[in-house]
Amino acid sequence: MSTSEVNGLIIVNYIGSVFLIAIGFYTMMAKKNIMKIVIGMGIVDYGINLLIVSVGFNPGGTAPIFTINELDPGTFFVDPVPQALTLTSIVIGACVTALALSLVIKIKQEYGTLDAGQIRRLRG
Amino acid sequence: MIQHFPILAIMVLFLGAFLTVLCGKNKVLRNIVVFAAMLASSVFIAFLIKPIMIDGEVITYWLGNWSPVADYAIGICLVVDQLNLFFAILVSVAVLLAGVFSFKYMSRDDTLEKYFTLFLMLSGGVMGLVLSGDLFNMFIMVEILTFAAVALTAFRNRSEGALEAAFKYLVIGVIGSSCILIGTTILYSQFHTLNLAQLSVLLHNNLQPATILAFTLLLTGFAVKAFVVPFHPVEADANAAAPSSVSVIISCVLTKAGIYGIIRIVYFLFRSMNLAPLQFILVLIGTLSMFIGVTMALAQKDFKRLLAFHSISQVGYVMTAIGLATALGVTGGLYHAINHTLFKGLLFLCAGAVFYATGTTNLDKLGGLAKRMPQTAALFLIGAFSISGLPPFNGFVSKWLIYQATYEKAVEFGNIGYAFVTIIALVVSVMTLASFIKVSQSVFFGQLPDEFKEVRETPVPMRIPMWIMAALCVGAGLLPQYMMRYLINPAVYAVMNVGNYIGSVMGPGYAEKIAGQTVEAYSSEFALAGYWSPISWLALFAIIICAFFIVSLSGGKLSKKIHSDSPSGLDPKYDTFFSGEANEHSQVGGSDLFWGFKHNLRHYFDFMHNAHSGVISDYALWAFCFLSFMIVYLFIIV
Amino acid sequence: MKKNINVRHIIVKDAADIFTPLSLVFGFYIILHGNLSPGGGFQGGVMIAASAVLIYLGYGFKTASSAINMEVIRKGEAIAAICYTCLALLGIFFGLNFCRNVFFNNGAIGDLLSSGTIAFMNYAVGFKVLTGVSFLILLMVSLLAPDSDSEHK
Repeated sequence: MSTSEVNGLIIVNYIGSVFLIAIGFYTMMAKKNIMKIVIGMGIVDYGINLLIVSVGFNPGGTAPIFTINELDPGTFFVDPVPQALTLTSIVIGACVTALALSLVIKIKQEYGTLDAGQIRRLRG
Repeated sequence: MIQHFPILAIMVLFLGAFLTVLCGKNKVLRNIVVFAAMLASSVFIAFLIKPIMIDGEVITYWLGNWSPVADYAIGICLVVDQLNLFFAILVSVAVLLAGVFSFKYMSRDDTLEKYFTLFLMLSGGVMGLVLSGDLFNMFIMVEILTFAAVALTAFRNRSEGALEAAFKYLVIGVIGSSCILIGTTILYSQFHTLNLAQLSVLLHNNLQPATILAFTLLLTGFAVKAFVVPFHPVEADANAAAPSSVSVIISCVLTKAGIYGIIRIVYFLFRSMNLAPLQFILVLIGTLSMFIGVTMALAQKDFKRLLAFHSISQVGYVMTAIGLATALGVTGGLYHAINHTLFKGLLFLCAGAVFYATGTTNLDKLGGLAKRMPQTAALFLIGAFSISGLPPFNGFVSKWLIYQATYEKAVEFGNIGYAFVTIIALVVSVMTLASFIKVSQSVFFGQLPDEFKEVRETPVPMRIPMWIMAALCVGAGLLPQYMMRYLINPAVYAVMNVGNYIGSVMGPGYAEKIAGQTVEAYSSEFALAGYWSPISWLALFAIIICAFFIVSLSGGKLSKKIHSDSPSGLDPKYDTFFSGEANEHSQVGGSDLFWGFKHNLRHYFDFMHNAHSGVISDYALWAFCFLSFMIVYLFIIV
Repeated sequence: MKKNINVRHIIVKDAADIFTPLSLVFGFYIILHGNLSPGGGFQGGVMIAASAVLIYLGYGFKTASSAINMEVIRKGEAIAAICYTCLALLGIFFGLNFCRNVFFNNGAIGDLLSSGTIAFMNYAVGFKVLTGVSFLILLMVSLLAPDSDSEHK
């Protein structure tokens, strides 16, 4: 693929990430099963991770790793900072999912149901 | 050496958290480690007061010595200027007092090493948020404190509604954090830097559609953390379910962290507070928070849930004052922020003491505890008078500043709407006083139920932090000129004038070179109106309170005979029938002191009670509607 | 049907037998070469924690909890976090700022120890992640109903 085609194809990433974030938010708002709300939170996290990685793309760049062979100072590579941000965000997404799933297990044990319309002892 | 103190203040809290996991089972060692960590962090922050607040320096600390290269910030930095230090002092005082309180308060629970680990991680996260100078670092600290707060809310698994409150807090917290992260990403994609100072210069007069979207998302994200109006039911649930020392941190410290984020985004990063519609929307959000918080609080039956709704209304005060964009407004807002931490912390600690002694926080079951716990009753009254804004206490000073700020803005800009804000602020203050009269009547005065005849006064380790907080409340009210000279005025100066911060971070002359123009600083001169001399108010107040105590504690033959000659067909509890027989004595339930008022406004209260339905999908829907509305609004006005 | 369950059980157990040493060795390789090739602490740690999950899947919860001591793992997580903090504070003791790479001058590019403190921080992070994630998964599994051992009914 030539450089301009690759440059144009990156827009698929952006569209995909916005689509994922929108689906994730919709799931959190519209579904009543709290397991589905947890899945929605996960989808929002994945959409944001895709957005962050796509931001760092430089068309025509190579991977930002200095091994013994390619040690030219003028090598053109993609931005490594968003990759570090994405890694941190993936870890945070894993922690959120773990915490949410633990809470879902305990809620099921105590309330006996997974329906958000019935888990509402604190209201008003 | 002194430049290492900010990072040490953060790291010693995290190190204490990790060490607590190791020495878990040994109770004495664990208490020593926790107390040493909190005290060391407070000492490091206290040593920073003199260079920063009094001499006016700004400490910039680049992690790993990665200083800016060719005018481009490539490292992570911690910046401590006067505003950061103001919030750091607030955080360290609240954390230290709540931590000391929780040594004795949590002693009846087990697995306490997990509690203290999470508590120290929460404190470390908040301290890292207020001392950080980098946008992604702020996001990481926000995530750390959200997780720790969620886990601490669910700490007492068996108590009523703890698990569902934690789950709702997690969902709404993730929505807020996701908004902050998307905003950060959009800013990075435009400018390829994450440093606050450099972004603030590059964004000067440079608002494109992508950056407006980032502004909306960042503002919404931090508004979720500050629990203003559409996001407030979660805070009420979380505060009711959490242990009291954690409620102090959630409602006093985490909301202020959100307010700090909003100040940084609006005043420093985007510098768009001169737009009148933006001031209008912030003042509108603040006013709605004030009003909804206090009216919902009048109808509550649970002690801590009521205090949480009052906390929402006080944060509404702070938001209104900050949204005014005048020097007096920001002064009032920051002063009210630190006052709210002090008096709301005191009130939550009193609620914790009541729970420790009696085992319940239901207003209908409590009553007459002042005879058995007199010191707790006195401390609660100090807190109640502070929050209502009565003269010799600190609430009066900051509320006076806020009334004057809104009124001056109405006069100066010819905008009658801000005069309505002053009126609403006064009415909310009166309703706060009414609500606290109801609470003190139903908890501390009145008849003592039989099962609480043997309660004892709060133990001394729990009373010491409460007395210290009460002393700080009274001190901040009696000596406002010292507070303002050393704490508030430097912070307001740092909010309004950003050149000092940028010059210290990126090297002098950077802002002028990139921006190409000089921007004059906002004026931070103001003159205080009105007369307050706290000593004379204190004398008057002492006389009144002596009379009050003499009358109410002398007992007497106040009989409570209520003859039922007008049975209202609405609710059988207003009739006096006990076990099937008509009775002459009927104790008016504590939460029903204003039942006439509530009955007259029952349509409004029914609507509000149905709106706070407790279903998590509803709260997420409100959050998303707020986000959509803000996106449309900000694109129209900028 | 009992025969069906046994067959599924045998296949899962054999698959776990094959993949557990693979994931352990590959995970350690990724952690050790964090400063030279893609990967690093978090990725390698998660791969090693996957071996704990494989043991649970193949052998059931009782075997997994007797093979992996939960208390030791918990203490190990805290020790790794303290090591990371102390390595980062090493910069302050040398007179420079926090998190500074203090001995990076030895070794050529491509050697294992050529990046100074970064390599040791990587090992600390990898150890913390592997203990943390495996403790987390085993804890969540232990909360489930006790009949989730080897008979998958």
